Amino acid sequence: MSGEKFQAHEIRDFIKINYKYTMGGQSKFFIELKNNKKLLGTKCTKCGKTWMPPRINCSECYEPADWIEMKQTGTIEVSTIVWYTTSAFIKAIPYGVAFVKLDGADTALLQGIFSENLVPSKVKKGSFVKAVFLKEREGKMTDFFFVPEDEYETWINKPEYEGGV
Amino acid sequence: MPNRVAIIGVGITPFRARYLDKTYFELAYDATKLALDDANKNGAQITHKDLESTVYGIYNELFERQFMPDIFTNSYLGMNDKPGTRIASGGATGGYTVRMAYAEVASGLSDLCLCIGLEKCNDCYDEQTGVTTPEVLNAIAYSADMTYEYPMGMMAASSYVSMVNAHYEEFGNPTEEQMAYVSIKNHGNAMLNPKAQSPMKVTVEDVMYSRIICYPFKMLDCCLYSEASAALILANEQKVKELGVEKPIWITGVAAANTDCFIGNRESIGRLYSNIEAAKAAYKMAGLDYDKIKEQIDVAELHDAFSGQEVISYEELGFVPFGEGGPWIEKSFEKPGEGPWLEGELPCCPSGGLIGCGHAVGATGIMSTGEAALQLREEAGKHQVTIEKGRSIAHSIGGPGAAYAAVIVMANEEGLKKP
Ligand SMILES: [Zn+2]
Repeated sequence: MSGEKFQAHEIRDFIKINYKYTMGGQSKFFIELKNNKKLLGTKCTKCGKTWMPPRINCSECYEPADWIEMKQTGTIEVSTIVWYTTSAFIKAIPYGVAFVKLDGADTALLQGIFSENLVPSKVKKGSFVKAVFLKEREGKMTDFFFVPEDEYETWINKPEYEGGV
Repeated sequence: MPNRVAIIGVGITPFRARYLDKTYFELAYDATKLALDDANKNGAQITHKDLESTVYGIYNELFERQFMPDIFTNSYLGMNDKPGTRIASGGATGGYTVRMAYAEVASGLSDLCLCIGLEKCNDCYDEQTGVTTPEVLNAIAYSADMTYEYPMGMMAASSYVSMVNAHYEEFGNPTEEQMAYVSIKNHGNAMLNPKAQSPMKVTVEDVMYSRIICYPFKMLDCCLYSEASAALILANEQKVKELGVEKPIWITGVAAANTDCFIGNRESIGRLYSNIEAAKAAYKMAGLDYDKIKEQIDVAELHDAFSGQEVISYEELGFVPFGEGGPWIEKSFEKPGEGPWLEGELPCCPSGGLIGCGHAVGATGIMSTGEAALQLREEAGKHQVTIEKGRSIAHSIGGPGAAYAAVIVMANEEGLKKP
């Protein structure tokens, strides 16, 4: 060992797994999003709490929660603009993300915020936003995003997007 | 009655960007050997064969390129045919591992237990950019909810910044300048810690003009991902006596809380309820008061993954009232004897914390606990603070939306007696 210069041996490797993952009890949310551009939340049959993201059981009451259609307008609770990110999202920077409380919901949903002018003042707390949908939907969260209310018409007129219901 | 539990040995490897000459289990070996050496310097005469069980803190299989990395570490440490249990709780893995190792000894399952954290992230490599970090972040990003949050490009920084921005909306702080003071303090303290990865003298301007990560966090507001291992040897009271340990550091309080990992489900986005609950419960167990804690302890090693979160932790851990974290560090800048600075009223992160040392996830909270224990032995080195009360705390947070929090309270022999 002594005197011998250390030389590291590195190998290229990766881990990859394919899935056909079931959304289980949450499936209806994704089916309605894909087919009908609806945003479904759930409402506890006992306490009345609205869950968004939806869960079919209320974690507080241990009672079932019923599906309800949510409004597609809401308010930004908090946001940020991301300038440095993971290898999977590098091509998307800069991008906005926000916790949005849909009108009538009790919880805030994390979603992407798109804007023609993506600056902190445009996506600040209290800003009104509306949901815009991809024309080609897969039944995933990336099928929709939020835009500032005053940019809604601009976004739904782009060829790849459309307005909600 | 649970057994009393003491930290009798501390072993921390240097925190480095990358160890080309060591695997994760080789790093764990180094930390274990250092902890055994330290225990023996502290009066014991033990080898690894005397350790009855191990609790492993290892966060991320994708970093280690290995599922169940604990069992391979167990083999390399020569711990075969004894129980070894792994804890994985995100950035708080270290704190949770200390908690479970404490339980191992307090319950009587083991008299002498190895509590070890390790992580080696920078073998992850992004071929597109030719650097490690984006792929390290990718490996971490799978910790966000895969259905609702990962597809939004959510990662640690954007998750923490949401809480910091919400806190700012509520209280008008921490401002970007106040966050910069944390960066100045922790990078500066790291200059006194030879094991730290990021020792640096920085100014407010340096922080403000460093690269934007996610608004308003800049590069120098964020910790770097690091490679390291840290180990503690825990013993019960009888073992401490039997071995003739000179400076046992007693764990007097341990508590943890998991708050809702969906930030949008929380009553207030600008609060880490887990921090508040864990701190209150740990202090209570140690016989201390949440409202007076700043006067009851000498030093705190906090989980400063991001500068703004350290400021909020000042409030949530009870050092200052809600809304006064930012002003506390700002007003005390360049005022020796005040604030969270090295010579302040309650030094926070004298080791340099995560911003100064780096964040070797599973090892981090064990490093913080070990550092807070060495402070009470007055053997921390150049970043030793004044010990008067004989009590310190270590703090760990992490996971999606920083849902996990753990607080460990320690005392030396004098600290046990003082009110
Ligand atoms: Zn309910």
